Amino acid sequence: MAALVLPAGLLVLLLLGAPMALMARYSFNTYDPLYLMQEAFTWANYTKAVTDEFYRDILFTTLWVSLLSTFITTLLAFGPAYWLARMESSWKSKLTILTLFPLLVGGVVRSAGYIALLGNEGAINAALRGLGLISHPIAMLYTPFAVVVGIVGVVLPYMVLTLAAVIEGIPRQAEEAAANLGARPSTVFFRVLLPLSLPGVLAGATLVFILCMNAYATPVLLGGPKFHMMAPAVYDQFTRVSNWPFGAALAFILLVVTILMTSIGSLLIGRRARPA
Amino acid sequence: MSPGRLLYRGGIIAAYVLMLAPVAALVAISFFRDEIVSFPPSGFTLHWYANGFARSEFMSGFIVSAKVAVLACLIGVPAGTAAALGIARSNLPFKGAFTTFMLSPLIVPGIVAGTALYLTFLMAQNRLDMDITGTLGGLVAAHVLLAIPWTVRVVTASLQGLDGAVEEAAANLGARPWQVFWRVTLPMLRPGIVAAVMFSFIQSFENLELTLLLVGPGMSTLPIEMINYLEFRMDPTLAAVATVQVVLIAALMLITDRFVKLSRVV
Repeated sequence: MAALVLPAGLLVLLLLGAPMALMARYSFNTYDPLYLMQEAFTWANYTKAVTDEFYRDILFTTLWVSLLSTFITTLLAFGPAYWLARMESSWKSKLTILTLFPLLVGGVVRSAGYIALLGNEGAINAALRGLGLISHPIAMLYTPFAVVVGIVGVVLPYMVLTLAAVIEGIPRQAEEAAANLGARPSTVFFRVLLPLSLPGVLAGATLVFILCMNAYATPVLLGGPKFHMMAPAVYDQFTRVSNWPFGAALAFILLVVTILMTSIGSLLIGRRARPA
Repeated sequence: MSPGRLLYRGGIIAAYVLMLAPVAALVAISFFRDEIVSFPPSGFTLHWYANGFARSEFMSGFIVSAKVAVLACLIGVPAGTAAALGIARSNLPFKGAFTTFMLSPLIVPGIVAGTALYLTFLMAQNRLDMDITGTLGGLVAAHVLLAIPWTVRVVTASLQGLDGAVEEAAANLGARPWQVFWRVTLPMLRPGIVAAVMFSFIQSFENLELTLLLVGPGMSTLPIEMINYLEFRMDPTLAAVATVQVVLIAALMLITDRFVKLSRVV
């Protein structure tokens, strides 16, 4: 039976493990505009990525956009997740499909949809103008605001479904007992529901944060040419400048920062989420 | 209504609007008559669907995406199912570590894994003197990395709900191991496998980040053709192509839901 693990294990090793090792090696090489990549062993690419103001700003932008988006997503997801988890009618499976649906439609398609909504001639500006509320369009597309809206919209279904699964496991009696003992709805939420659903918050936020850090379509399509995040920056190093070593170093920094942040998150939340 | 209740209801509505409005907007725009998108439209037409099908980049992107997704499923789903069975039903040491390893393609950002694969393909190309990036094989290899973790995740989840005693009973009654597998284990796993195929297919079909560097002339996927087009303009033709994708995925979900309640696998 144990041998059954082999095919998939070898494939992952060959297609992910080995390539990551090769990229790690490349990230210590040097780049020459004329001869491209040169064999070397230097930390220079990593030093450049964190000291060069341009790339440091990209990393910070990526971090704050990801943290803000993860936070907003978590807040927004609680309502629908609770609604979905506590629903008992036959609508529940339909609503689950409806929540899963935008997730499976794909990031590019949904980003295109946000362009249609947020543009100067888009649905929102047209509606506001139609109502006579504004005379000039509000610039929303190609702003950080559009990127955050787009990312939150794209990752929200993940959070709703993850949270709903955990809330479903919390016995309804726990809430009822608190309410019977005189707790107000807000107290029930903050003292009973929220602490008990922290494992779901942690799992959902980790997933969402990884997706935000990795976002490519949303910043490229909704952020405009002056807005930079890490994933497009990595891509540019390979397609526009062919600086492989530096691109490899940027990719590793993205990976390490993502893992570091999610570890810090699980330490902070995980300690409280552990059942007493 | 109390303010808390109002906040709760409003939050639910806001969340679903945020999730569904972009898709609804695209579907609506695909029928607008004016080529330059403006609200409200001056009329409606189906012309943009014909236009989308006539554009070779969308048509070939669609075919490449479908081919890659099917082939990646054919390799990744059996491998992932076997791995999930191996982890669940054997006395393998370090089971947790194996599971984490199989799921690791979901944790490594797609752009990072895609970059690493691109560099590896280029190195292999030089050594073997054959093309890998920009070929169907290269894309399928990359997308197997999507099918394996999704399959391991979904099949492992459905294995946990299965009663191993049924398999033991079959064996006690004289069934050979392969008969137990073929007549008992596999039918019990069918819902999980159907869900795994759906998730793997869709994840592959819509993938952007992992694929970006691996496409080549004439061998590009639909999401990449769409993002290339979108960098210049957003018009009803693109909306029509996107709507076709949306309908395809919705149909896949509804078909899968007949075999396995999607609300139970997610």
